[in-house]
Amino acid sequence: MIKRKFTMVTITALAVFGLVLSACGGKSDSGTTAANELEQIKKAGVIKVGTMGTYPPYTFLNDKKEVDGFDPDIAKEIAKRLGVTAEFTTQDFSGLIPSLQAEKFDIVISQVTITDERKKQIDFTDSYITNNVKIIVNTKNTDITKLEDFKGKTIGVGLGTNDETYLRTEVLPKVGDFTIKTYDDVITSLKDLDAGRIDATINNLYALKPIVDENGFQIKAVGEPIKSDMAGVALRKDNAELRDAMNKALADMKADGTYDTLFQKWFNETPAK
Amino acid sequence: MQLVFDNLPFLLKGAGYTLLLTIVSMLFGLIIGLVVAIARLKGNPPIRWIARFYVSIIRGTPLLVQIVIIYYGLVDYGVTLGSLTAAYIALSINAGAYLSETFRGAILSVPKGQLEAAYSTGMTPWQAMRRIVLPQAMRIAIPPMGNTFIGMLKETSLVSVITVSELLRQAQLLIAQYYQYMPFYLGIGVMYWIMSTGLAFILERFERRLAKAY
Repeated sequence: MIKRKFTMVTITALAVFGLVLSACGGKSDSGTTAANELEQIKKAGVIKVGTMGTYPPYTFLNDKKEVDGFDPDIAKEIAKRLGVTAEFTTQDFSGLIPSLQAEKFDIVISQVTITDERKKQIDFTDSYITNNVKIIVNTKNTDITKLEDFKGKTIGVGLGTNDETYLRTEVLPKVGDFTIKTYDDVITSLKDLDAGRIDATINNLYALKPIVDENGFQIKAVGEPIKSDMAGVALRKDNAELRDAMNKALADMKADGTYDTLFQKWFNETPAK
Repeated sequence: MQLVFDNLPFLLKGAGYTLLLTIVSMLFGLIIGLVVAIARLKGNPPIRWIARFYVSIIRGTPLLVQIVIIYYGLVDYGVTLGSLTAAYIALSINAGAYLSETFRGAILSVPKGQLEAAYSTGMTPWQAMRRIVLPQAMRIAIPPMGNTFIGMLKETSLVSVITVSELLRQAQLLIAQYYQYMPFYLGIGVMYWIMSTGLAFILERFERRLAKAY
């Protein structure tokens, strides 16, 4: 008797568990926010911004341990023009978009490249920067100069980044088999490149310069740029008001020279027109 | 949920690594644990002190910190380990410290009379340890050992930070592809649960077999 009871309990528990699981299969549909988000943000006086914080000079923690860099400066400038203050949260890149969707923050500014794949999930402002991506290898390395040389090698890349998707979906089928190792931030991937645990990585030079200068890594960029990426501010879908307001802020920034000043401040050059 | 089933082979590959990491690190952890436990009980003062120091450091710092130090930190001193090797080492050293305490307690719990009886039959201390004390201590150590075992299975998820593509990392890779959190995390949650239940079952069988000898 006891035994039968036990079986019943087990079956019930499993059934409940199964229900919970199957409920997760459907796409949650919480896209329709009651009041529009722009108004909510203005009312709160704060715009919550997600960023990596481990990707100088775009986004990093400065000596005062505050979020700093080109991206946060752009975000602060947007916030200022919306009449609110920006409040930053740092997180691994791969978690940023899911957190955005879980409404942990209002926008993500962390060199998020605008891709069609991502547009299905989230929305973007107009691009605020274009980056050339190059192949990066150890200074001692002489046998990798182009994508075709990746065959049979180990290539490091940031987890969940557009570069990872690019390697997986475009380079792998074209070049032939190579191993992809994923990292949670740029610094560790460069450290492994310096240590010789990976043969190459792909990234852009702006991003590398400060890290290399700081750590004395023996690495170099080779060959021609393999692609150029446009990054935008990411926000949840169906927020036309917020998107348009941010686009206007970006356009004004570019028109009145603020953008150029910021660009000069972080990259010591004028933006390519 | 369909997503999880479509990507099951990919996840199973990760689960394989998780099991491999658990088994290898437990194996070496057992050896380290036994040596350290005996060192603490029978060693001369400096050896005892070293063993205590080791246990204290390992139990007093997060495993994540140990993993990162072994993988990224040692590079600065000219030691470059592969990610799997580093994971094995970090997990074994960690398991060893916890298991040494388990064994020490188990050895101490064997009545002193047993040892005296062994000596009186003319056994050397080493023989007495091997033939009389350890077999009895083993039985006592199984339940807490199982605890460490199952703990270790879940702790392996931490080595995802050093690019080992175990179960958690594989799930993260899929999440990065589909931007869908819940199904994958629930999926691997279930997989971890199945694995730890399986381990617990094996340990139970083992315990019963050992009990039969008496």
